[in-house]
Amino acid sequence: MRVEVGDVIPPFQLPDGATPERMRTTAAILRDPTPLHWDREYTRARGFEGRLLNQTPLNMGYVLNMLMAWAGPTSVRRIRARFPNVVLDGSPVATGGSVVAIEEVEGDRVAECEVWCDRDDEVRCLVATAWVTLPDGDDVTPR
Amino acid sequence: MRALVGTPIAGGSYEIAHWENFLFTEACAAEQLPDGLAHPAHLFHVAINGAGTTIQELFDAAGSRPGDRVSIDFYDWTLHRPLREDERYDVTGSVTEHERSTDRRGCLRDSVTYEFLLRDGDGAPVAEVAFRWHYGRDDRATP
Repeated sequence: MRVEVGDVIPPFQLPDGATPERMRTTAAILRDPTPLHWDREYTRARGFEGRLLNQTPLNMGYVLNMLMAWAGPTSVRRIRARFPNVVLDGSPVATGGSVVAIEEVEGDRVAECEVWCDRDDEVRCLVATAWVTLPDGDDVTPR
Repeated sequence: MRALVGTPIAGGSYEIAHWENFLFTEACAAEQLPDGLAHPAHLFHVAINGAGTTIQELFDAAGSRPGDRVSIDFYDWTLHRPLREDERYDVTGSVTEHERSTDRRGCLRDSVTYEFLLRDGDGAPVAEVAFRWHYGRDDRATP
């Protein structure tokens, strides 16, 4: 089935939300010294009620998971993202997106997609434009 | 701060080890990728650490102190080809932009843009990474 402008990308969902364990692993791998990701006393003192803040590369990861599940693990060419709100530990997370344009680039069909990541079904934490190479025959994973 | 613009970051190289890819992919709540592919969300820290620096050193160079607010404005990641485990990436980077402004709360902030280029062992471009951080300057003169 040919991918068309307006097609919806199947969402990636994380019902248990961002977890402290994943944030700690990420802090170690990123060498990220920010206590916002692992120290509840620190976040309590800064108005987050002791909840931990997810690292933004993980929020990017959720959107990338969605795109790779849809179009394949080597499909993502570019992603440009902003972060209007934070993802907090324990909040359910879901991504979404749709195709807004398709163009031919050096023989590939490339889909330009508007994508996002929400927490708690309503708080938008990431908004991005992503460019994805469509697989041969547009053999994407259907919704 | 303005003197930082144009400053090259040390430069260096990075290889994503299998253990690192496994753990970080798990932290992204993703299925492990096939054929030695590395999760593209690695790009953020591969760029920084591969360029021979750390998040803390970038904070320090911008005059950020423990407890200061640092927030992300945007990420712009381009993949010329997928990242892979055990492949060496040579990374260069620099500070490309600085802007001083006032945030929503009326506090002074410095916004700093960083750009990195990853190349393979033959010098071919693999990925480009740009991001901008806002450094909050609540109550003091800036460097």
